[in-house]
Amino acid sequence: MTETTLKKKVKVHFNPDNVDIAVASGENLLQAAIAAGARIYASCGGSGTCGTCKVLIEKGEVETTRTEKLSEEEYQQGIRQACQSHILTDLTVYVPVESRLEKAVLSQEQKRVSEVLATGWRFRPPLNKFFLELPPPTLEDNTSDLSRLLRGLRQRYNLSNLSVDFTAVKKLAEVLRDGKWKATVTTLVTAVKPRAGDQRQPKVINIEPGDTREKHYSLAFDIGTTTVCGQLLELNRGKVLAESIAYNGQISYGEDVITRINHCQKPGGLKKLQQAVVTTINGIIEELLARGQVSHEHVGHLMVAGNTTMTQILLGLDPKYLRLTPYTPVANFFPPVEATSLGIKVGDQAYLFIFPAVASYVGGDIVSGIIGSGVHQRKTLTFFIDIGTNGEIVIGNSDWMATASCSAGPAFEGGGIKHGIVATEGAIEEFDIDQSNLEPKVITIGGTKPKGICGSGLINIIAGLLEAGVISQNGKFNRDLPTKRIRQGRDGYEYVLSRASETQTGRDIVITEVDIDNLMRAKAAIYAGCQTLSKSVGIGCYDFEQVIIAGAFGSNINIEKSITIGLLPDLPMGRFIFIGNGSLLGARLTSFSTDLLDDARRVAQMMTNFELSENVDFMNNYMAALFLPHTETSAFPTVSKRLARLTKNNPKQRITI
Amino acid sequence: MAFEIPKTTYNGKIKEIKLGKGDKAVTIGGESSYPFYLFESEMPHLPRIAMDVYDCPPVEWAEAALEPFAGVTDDPVAWAQKCLKDYGAEMICLQLLSTDPNGLDRGADEAAEVVKKVAEAIDTPLIVWGTANHDKDTEVLRRVAEVCQDKNLILGPVEEGDHKKIGAAAIGYHHTVIASTPIDINLAKQLNILLGNLGVPDELLVMDPTVSGIGYGIEYAYSVMERMRMAALTQQDEKLQFPIICNIAKETWKTKETKISESENPKMGDAKKRGILLEAMSAMTMLLAGGDVLIMRHPEAIKLVREMIAELTKA
Repeated sequence: MTETTLKKKVKVHFNPDNVDIAVASGENLLQAAIAAGARIYASCGGSGTCGTCKVLIEKGEVETTRTEKLSEEEYQQGIRQACQSHILTDLTVYVPVESRLEKAVLSQEQKRVSEVLATGWRFRPPLNKFFLELPPPTLEDNTSDLSRLLRGLRQRYNLSNLSVDFTAVKKLAEVLRDGKWKATVTTLVTAVKPRAGDQRQPKVINIEPGDTREKHYSLAFDIGTTTVCGQLLELNRGKVLAESIAYNGQISYGEDVITRINHCQKPGGLKKLQQAVVTTINGIIEELLARGQVSHEHVGHLMVAGNTTMTQILLGLDPKYLRLTPYTPVANFFPPVEATSLGIKVGDQAYLFIFPAVASYVGGDIVSGIIGSGVHQRKTLTFFIDIGTNGEIVIGNSDWMATASCSAGPAFEGGGIKHGIVATEGAIEEFDIDQSNLEPKVITIGGTKPKGICGSGLINIIAGLLEAGVISQNGKFNRDLPTKRIRQGRDGYEYVLSRASETQTGRDIVITEVDIDNLMRAKAAIYAGCQTLSKSVGIGCYDFEQVIIAGAFGSNINIEKSITIGLLPDLPMGRFIFIGNGSLLGARLTSFSTDLLDDARRVAQMMTNFELSENVDFMNNYMAALFLPHTETSAFPTVSKRLARLTKNNPKQRITI
Repeated sequence: MAFEIPKTTYNGKIKEIKLGKGDKAVTIGGESSYPFYLFESEMPHLPRIAMDVYDCPPVEWAEAALEPFAGVTDDPVAWAQKCLKDYGAEMICLQLLSTDPNGLDRGADEAAEVVKKVAEAIDTPLIVWGTANHDKDTEVLRRVAEVCQDKNLILGPVEEGDHKKIGAAAIGYHHTVIASTPIDINLAKQLNILLGNLGVPDELLVMDPTVSGIGYGIEYAYSVMERMRMAALTQQDEKLQFPIICNIAKETWKTKETKISESENPKMGDAKKRGILLEAMSAMTMLLAGGDVLIMRHPEAIKLVREMIAELTKA
C-alpha cells in the first residue's frame, strides 16, 4: 500500500489570490494557505486566539474546532478560522478583505521622508571597487596571479595588508585572462574597528573581468517584527535607487517576538521562520533589482538592522535564551556572514553585515536608529523612541546613552484592538469629531472605505474622544451622552466610527472600552519606561532638549494628540522630530560611510541597558500612567489646561440628576 | 553648636472639610504636618471617631462587640441615640447592610426611609455606608441623597464604577462623598480627578483608601496612606490633599481572631479583651498613617484610641 492511499491528496483553491495547492487531507488550512502563498493575517500564530485568519469556505469540507472568536452567525455563513480547520475534501476558500495581508498598500509608507539627522560623516562606503590593469606574466615575471593582483593593488592604490576570500581566488586565473589582465577588484572593510595604531584590513571579496566600477551596489534592510523594508543603494554616488516594503513572512507564525521565539522551539520551527524572512527579503530584493535594473551579481553587500530576535532568527540562531531570564543574546557583535549561505539571492561574494545588538530586547535596529539620527554626534540631551511592538527607548547624547525596552504590546500596530489593522490602505488614520452632535469624521490611508484602525489612528481617535468628552480620563465612555454612536456591544461599551454601509468589511467599525484599555496600557508602558529610565539616570522628562520618534506604525504620528493621551511627555512641539523608519535610515547611512559603521560599534558598546522588568519604580510609574493623560496631571500642564477649558465649554459632559 | 533635630519641610496642607451641620458639625483635615508631628507643624483638628450602627440586626458580630448595644441592635434609631448618649459618639456611621443584594436585598426607598429617621434623630454628622455593589449603591445612595437633601450626609463608598451617578446626586443635594479605591495611590488620585471633573467641589470630598485590620494586610493600607500624605504635604499633590476616612471596625471584627471564643482556643486568651485590643490597635495604626475619621465599634476600643490621641497631642 502506498502512502497516498493512506493520506488522500486534496486540492485547495484560494480566492481572490487565485492560487492552488495540493496537500494531504487533514492538513491545517492556515499552513496550506501560507504554503500556497495566499496572504492571510494570523496575528496569534495559529493558536486560535486572535480571530484574524477567518476565511469563507465556499466549497468543500473542513473539520473545525470552534472558538469564541467565531460567532454563531459567522459559523452558519461558512466562516471558519483557518488555523483551527483541517482540510477534509477539495476546497474553494475565500479570504475576506479583513483577513488579508495587502502588500501594495504598504508602498504608501514610502512617501514618508526620512530625515537625515546624522551629520559630518565622510562618504566612504565599506564596499569598494578598484580597477586594475596588470602586466601579463612572462617568464621573467612569473609570480602567481594572486601576488600579481596584490602587487597591482599596492602599487596603484597603495592598498596593503589585504586578506583574500577563497571564492575570489577560485576564479582568479580565469577572470584575469578573460579580461586580458584588466580586472575590477571588490574589497570590503570588515566591520571590526581597528585598535588605535592598527591598520584596517580590507578583504578582497570579488574579482571581475574588465572595468565594472560603474556597477557598484549594495542593499540596506530593516527587518522588523511586522514589516521588512529594503533599499537598493548605488555606491559611487551614494544614491537610493529604489525602496520597497513588505510584511515579514513570519507574521503568519505569530505577531510578536515571543510567539515567534516559541514557534522556534517546535521541530523545524526555527528553519521555517528563517526561511520565511529570507523569502520576504528575496522578494524585496527581486523587486528592488528589477526597479533599479541591477543584476544580482553586482550587489556586493547587505547592511541589515533588526531587533535581537529578528537578527538571531535570520542568522538561524535559536532565540530561546532571549526569552528566558536572565535574557542573553547569542552575541552582541556578529561577524559578517556570506549572504548566500543564508539563502539570500545576491552575488556569491556578498557579505551581510548585521548591526550589533545591545541586549535581548534592545537590538541592532535601535543602534541603527541612533546612528541614523545622529544622537551619538551631539551634546544635545536626546530622548529617542522607537514605537513598535516593543517600545525601545534611548536617553543620552554623544557622551553617554541609557536604553530600555518596554513591552507595549501590539496595540500600536493594530494588535489586540477589535478592529485594529496594520497601517495599510483602508486603515482609519485621521479622526475628528463634531462637538455639536458627536458625529465622527474619519480619513483612511489611501482614501478608501475604512477597513479597520491603525496605530496612529488609534492615538487620534482616543485623543479626539477625550477632548470631546465622549470618554473620561479613565478611558470609560460617558454613557449618558445624547448620541447613538455610543452603544453597548459584545465587548462592553463602544463608539461606532463607521457604519456597516460605509465600510469595506460590511460591518460596523467600532472602538471599544477594551480597545481603549489596551492602548492605555501600551502608552502607559512607554511613558513609564521613559520616566523610569530618566529617573534612573537622574534627569526628568522635561530636561530633554530633543525627542526623536521613530517607528513604522502609520504614515505619521500626530505629536499633539500623542501628548494628549500621555504617550509622549508634554514638551514644546519644536523639540519633537519624527524620522519614520530610523533603523533603515541607519542601515543606509552606514552603507555609505565606514565612519558610521565604526560609530555603530561604539554606540552599541556605550549603551547601558536597564531591565525595566526588574525595576520597582517601573510598576508604580506604569500604574500612574494608566490614565488620560496621566494621574500626575501636573506633568501634562498644557493638556490639563486644554481639557479643563473644553470641559467648561462643553455642557453635555455634565451629568444631570 | 547645639544639635538640631532635622525637620521635614512641608509645602502642602490637607483641605479642611466640614461634615454635618449645626452645632454638632465637625471639621476635619487641615493638617500641615505628618500625623502627630506637632513639633514640625500643625494638626488643627484632631481625628474624629464615628460609631458603627447597622440598619438591620447584625448576625455575625462577635459577642463582645454586641454586648454594649444589647437591646438596641434591631432599631437603628435607638442604636444611634445610645451611641451619642451613653458613649459620647461624635459621629454615626450607618451601614446599610440590609440592602446587600446577596443578603436581605432591601429596596432603596425603604433603606432611605431608615436613613432619614436616623438622620432626624441625631444632631451629629451621619455617614451612610453602602454595600460596594455598584448597581445597588447607585440606586440606594441616590435615593438617600434625595430623601435626606438638607442633611449634609457623608455618602460612601463611591467607587470608579459608580462615581458618576452617586457623585451627581451628592452635588445636587449637597452631600459629602467618600471616594473609595482599592489600596492604590494612583487609583485614589484618579478617582479624585474624575469626581472633580464631574463637578464635585473639593469641600465635599473625603477619601477611603480601603483599610484592613492587624494581621490582614494592614501594612499595605498603612503604606498607601503614608504615601498619600507624603504626596499631599511635601510634593504639593493637590489631588491627594483630602482627609482620609477609615472604615476599620468592620475589618477588624470580621476576622476569626476577634470571633473565636476562649473556650474554643484557650491559648488566645480572653475574647472580649482580644477583640477590643485588635480594634484599638488597628485604629491607632490608621491614625499614625494619616486617618482623619475612624469608624469604630466597641466603646472600650474607642476609649483607648481617644486616650492615645490625647497623649499624643498633649501640649
